[in-house]
Amino acid sequence: MEFYETTEGRLGLRDIPPVLADLLRQIPHSGDRDSDEVEERFFPSPSHDPDEEGLRDDWRAHVEPELHGAFQSARLVVEADLRGMKEEDDGFAMEFSKGHAEAWLNALNQARLALVTQHRFSEDQLAGPRPDRIRNERDLALLQLTLYEYVQHWLVEVLEP
Amino acid sequence: MRIAGEVEEAPAQKTGEKSDRDLPWSVVVHNDPVNLMSYVTLIFRKVFGFAREKAERHMLEVHHKGRSVVWSGGREQAEFYVQQLHSHLLLATIERID
Repeated sequence: MEFYETTEGRLGLRDIPPVLADLLRQIPHSGDRDSDEVEERFFPSPSHDPDEEGLRDDWRAHVEPELHGAFQSARLVVEADLRGMKEEDDGFAMEFSKGHAEAWLNALNQARLALVTQHRFSEDQLAGPRPDRIRNERDLALLQLTLYEYVQHWLVEVLEP
Repeated sequence: MRIAGEVEEAPAQKTGEKSDRDLPWSVVVHNDPVNLMSYVTLIFRKVFGFAREKAERHMLEVHHKGRSVVWSGGREQAEFYVQQLHSHLLLATIERID
């Protein structure tokens, strides 16, 4: 798989093996977004102070719906870009506007956070070696995390001021 | 030069009575094992306009010490920054500076 940037300001991935193309298509849907734990991680409290209940109430009423909309919007951008993925001789390929890079970063982060929360990966497991065989859903999630991290690293480089 | 974690200078307070909202507040970013170090650095630069070196210092402080005070000042601005950081899925809270 190769990442590239065109002179017209488009970002692309090519020579994507079919299995990785499938994992990329799962970015907008990865992890159990409806679980309380994932919800809690996506919408953390703005304060740990027990006296700040009023702030937490305001946050739930006004900020969380805004964040919910922003997260959904990022996923929709990525979903639309992914629909443009096409099969070529050496695997799959796709291009998207550089202006979508932030939405991609956000959607990838959502996917990684949801997967880590859902599968309860520890910090050591995340930093440790990846399984050499995919035997179950958990191993597959680790492969997904590795791929999404790889794409994020590239996008951060692209967006570096 | 400030070192990472040192509280940024807050804007001068107006004279007169001070409410809780007038007190300086800090924005604290907390560690989580998922967000990439390069991503956190990028977000600090984007949200606070930090130079790369300063953004990396704060990112490393979060990574090694579990938290970093990235900004301090008025309450409303602190809430705004926390919202910005949450929109990038970083763990951030506001704290009163006693």
